[in-house]
Amino acid sequence: MESMLSKDHVRTHIHASDWADAIRQAGNILVDAGSIQPAYIDSMIESVKNLGPYIVIMPQFALAHASPCEAVKKSDISLITLEKPVDFGSTNDPVFVILCLACTDSSSHLEHLSKIASLLMEEGRINEIIKAKDENEIVRLFQANYSC
Amino acid sequence: MIKIQTVCGFGCGSSLFLKMKLQEVLKANNLDAEIFCGDIGTCTSAPCDVIFTSEELGDRVKDRATVPVIVINNFVNKQEVTEKTLAFFETLK
Repeated sequence: MESMLSKDHVRTHIHASDWADAIRQAGNILVDAGSIQPAYIDSMIESVKNLGPYIVIMPQFALAHASPCEAVKKSDISLITLEKPVDFGSTNDPVFVILCLACTDSSSHLEHLSKIASLLMEEGRINEIIKAKDENEIVRLFQANYSC
Repeated sequence: MIKIQTVCGFGCGSSLFLKMKLQEVLKANNLDAEIFCGDIGTCTSAPCDVIFTSEELGDRVKDRATVPVIVINNFVNKQEVTEKTLAFFETLK
């Protein structure tokens, strides 16, 4: 069964020095995949500086993204979990899980993201992701529920 | 039909999460509304009856909005989303 996340787009137990470093490391996965250029990572970090930590939309979880732009070559998603959490200055701190979202426009990714969103918002799901030992376990979490 | 706008920085990330949670809550409470995503820059010029957004963006939106602005702190907290949504629908009666 196909997973919503591919294994090479997931990293677990990442060491991040602060929230910006965490976003950078999640974004680097997409740079390596050829989906974004590094400028997109800077945009994601700038957006938190400008708009505040609103991307921490629920406890322990941040949805890092910026607006669709030329630095996005292909709509794509990566996910990292942190060895030690980082603070964004949000009431939902500390953050253990970063989902990095890049899209070429504001509508084409919606169906895929909707499926991921509903899975992430299930009760207890974020804790399962935090506890996952390795990438395979996370890929499975995004697979088992795909057809539901 | 009530039009609800969910707002985030760019109208394509966290606002979608909030839209989905609202859909779930509306359905569970037999309420009907049209929900669409918007971004912080243009949300106040998009016609709607109410805006839902996050805590950090709430103040920026409130400064300019002519419709009620409802702030959600935790997008997965069904109780919070339900209470605030029902309270808004109460004001329509």
